[in-house]
Amino acid sequence: MENILTKQALPRWIEQLDAYQIYAPVREQEGWKYAIVDTPDSVTLDYPNTVLSLKSILFPQREVFLEFHSQNGRDLEVEELLPGDAQSVIFGVRPCDAKAISLMDKVFGGDYIDNYYWKRRNQTRLIGLACNEPVSPDCFCNAVDGAPYSTEGLDILMTDLGDRYFLESVTEKGEELLAVEDDLFQEAGKKDQKAVKDLRSGAEKKFERKIPELQNMPEILANLFDSDFWEQESMSCIRCGICTYLCPSCHCFDINDEVETAAPLKGVRVRTWDTCQFPDFTMHSSGHNPRSDRAARLRQRVSHKYRYFPEQYDAFLCTGCGRCIDKCPVGIDIVEVLNKAVDYEG
Amino acid sequence: MIDLAALKKEAKQLLKDEKVTYLLGYRQGSNGHRAVPAFIREPEEVEQLTWDPTCTYNLTRYLIDEVRERNSSEEREDRPVGILVKGCDNRAINVLLQEKYLRKEDVHVIGISCEHAGMVDEKKLARELKNQPVMEIEFGEGDRFVVTTEEGKTTISAEKILADRCLECKASYPAGAEVIFGDKVKREFTRPYKGLQEIETLPAGERWAFWKAQFEKCIRCYACRSVCTMCYCDECVVDSIELAVTADTTAEEKARKVRWAERSPVTSENFTFHLTRAMHMAGRCVDCGECERACPVDIPLRLLYAKLARTADKMFDYEAGSDPDQPPLTSSFTMDDPGDFIR
Repeated sequence: MENILTKQALPRWIEQLDAYQIYAPVREQEGWKYAIVDTPDSVTLDYPNTVLSLKSILFPQREVFLEFHSQNGRDLEVEELLPGDAQSVIFGVRPCDAKAISLMDKVFGGDYIDNYYWKRRNQTRLIGLACNEPVSPDCFCNAVDGAPYSTEGLDILMTDLGDRYFLESVTEKGEELLAVEDDLFQEAGKKDQKAVKDLRSGAEKKFERKIPELQNMPEILANLFDSDFWEQESMSCIRCGICTYLCPSCHCFDINDEVETAAPLKGVRVRTWDTCQFPDFTMHSSGHNPRSDRAARLRQRVSHKYRYFPEQYDAFLCTGCGRCIDKCPVGIDIVEVLNKAVDYEG
Repeated sequence: MIDLAALKKEAKQLLKDEKVTYLLGYRQGSNGHRAVPAFIREPEEVEQLTWDPTCTYNLTRYLIDEVRERNSSEEREDRPVGILVKGCDNRAINVLLQEKYLRKEDVHVIGISCEHAGMVDEKKLARELKNQPVMEIEFGEGDRFVVTTEEGKTTISAEKILADRCLECKASYPAGAEVIFGDKVKREFTRPYKGLQEIETLPAGERWAFWKAQFEKCIRCYACRSVCTMCYCDECVVDSIELAVTADTTAEEKARKVRWAERSPVTSENFTFHLTRAMHMAGRCVDCGECERACPVDIPLRLLYAKLARTADKMFDYEAGSDPDQPPLTSSFTMDDPGDFIR
C-alpha cells in the first residue's frame, strides 16, 4: 500500500505507536547512532547514516546467553536468558542496513535457528528511509545488487518528498503500523508516484563507485587465493576491527564464559562480535592460525563477502554502505581492491 | 613551501642506488581528497609521492611490522627502510631507538616540515564546509589551507580546521633528522596541553562521569592500539594468542590462563583496556594523535596520554622522543630526582 504522511504529522504517528519502543537516529558528537527516543518531536530523519549499523541493535555486540552458578562446586544450575519481550520500531533505516539484516536472516535462520537473534528480529519493525542521493561519497549499494530505494529487509519504506513522506508498506507488520485510528495518512496520488519515480532514477545516477565485474567475483577471487595480490593490497592494513565492526553484514562472533566468582561458582556465557582482523580469530588451540597475517586476513574479509557467501547463499555479503571505506584509518577501499583484482596478473 | 619535485628526486635516487629496500611515503588514495600510506619499491613509482594536509598517517607504525619481519627472517636485510617523517613521527622513531626496538641502521629518515601549518582534522573540515565533498586540499600561504570543492577554491585558516594535536604541537619539524624538506618554522599558534587544561578544571566527579560516558561508547575495535607505533607488544594484554595448548596441557592450566579483560564491551572491561594502554604510554606517547583520529566513535584519547606527558614533563622535565640518546623515562634514574623516597 502507498500512503502520504506530511512531515508535520510524523510525531503524531509516532505517538500512536505507543505500544512499541521507538528507535531513531540521534546525533552523538560528530556522528549519528540509533537510540530509544522518548519524545516523538525529537525524531529527525534528516541525517546521512549511523556510525554503527543496524546490526548493533538486532545482533548486539554483547549478548548474554545464559547464567550459571553452583553452590557446592558440583551441582551446576543453568538459566537461559533470552532477550526481553519489548516490541520495537526502528525509524530511519537506510536500505543498505536493512538489506544486511536480510542477509543475516539467512545465517541465523539456516540449518540452525538462532533463538537469540530471532527473538529480537521478530519483535522489531523496520521503517526505512530511501536515499534520494548517496549519503556519502563512499556509498555503492547499486554496485552490489542493491538500490537506494530497496525495500529488502524492511517493513515500510519512507521517501522524503520535501514537505511529506511517501510510504510504501511491504509486509504485514508494516500494514499493522499504518493501521492507526486517525486520519494521518492520505492515499498517494499519481503526482506523488511520479515524484518518487523521478527521484529514484535521479538517485541511481549519482553513485560514482562501480564494480563492473561483480557477478564474476567468486571466480576471480578463487583464482587469486594463493596470489601475492593480498600481500600487496594489505601492506598498509593495521589489523584493527573497524571495517568489520562497523559493517552492517559482518556477523562473526565469539563465545566466552565470564566468571564473576570462582567459589561459589557464578558467571555468564556471552556472545560477542569477533573479527577476522584480530590475531586470535580462528586460532587453533595448538597455536596454529590458518589466517595468521594481514594478507590472509584481508583475503578472508573480501572473500567472505564476494566469494564464500555467494557460493553458499547466492547473495553478496556486502550492501555497499561504504562505512569500511570511510572509516578505515589507512584508506583501504574494498571497491578499489575488488576492481584491482579483476586485472591482477602476478 | 615543500619542494615536492626535490623530494621525489631524493626518493628516486635512494631507490635507484638501492640505498633503501623501499620507501614509506604518501600517495593519493581512491577515497576522495585523502592521501593514503604508500609503499614505494621501484624508482618509477616515486611519481606517486604526494605531500598535502591529509598526510596525517604516522608511517613509523609500519616499522613495527618491518622489525618483526626482519627479526624472523633467516637472512637479515642490511639495508634500511626509507621513511618520510613529520616532527611528531620523528619523536616516535626516537622512542623506538631509545627502547632499542629499532636499530638506527634499519631506518633512513627523510624529514618533512609542517612549516606554519600541519594536518587537517577531517571532522572539522566537514563541519566548516557543511559536509560539502572536498576535491582537493593544499597548503596555502602561511598557516592557511586552500580547499577545492565543486564551488571552487576557498581559503581556510589553520585555527578552524587544523587537527588539535597540530594546534598543540611543540615542534613542527623533525629536529635532528639528517635531511629535512621545508623550513624549520617556530610556530605562533602553539598551545601545549590546551585540551588537558580544560578537563583538569572539572571536579573529580565530573571527570569520572565524562570518562565513563566516553569509554561506554568504545566498541573495542582496537584501532587506537593498532594504529599506534608504541603498541608493539607481541602479545597485547587483550589478545590471548600465546596460549598454545599441547596434548599435555591440563584443563586446570587452560582455566588458569589469565584473561585481563573480557571481550565484552562493558564499562569495567573498557576501562581496563584503555587505562592499561594509557599506563604504557607514560613517557612514550609522542602525541601524533593517530589514536584519536582513527577512533570511529570519537573518544578523546589524546587527553589521557597528554595527562601522562605533562606529568612526565613537570616531574622529570622529560619529553617523549625528544632525544634518541636519552634513556627511556621509566628506566632512568638521576641523583637529582625530585622524589625524596627514591634517592
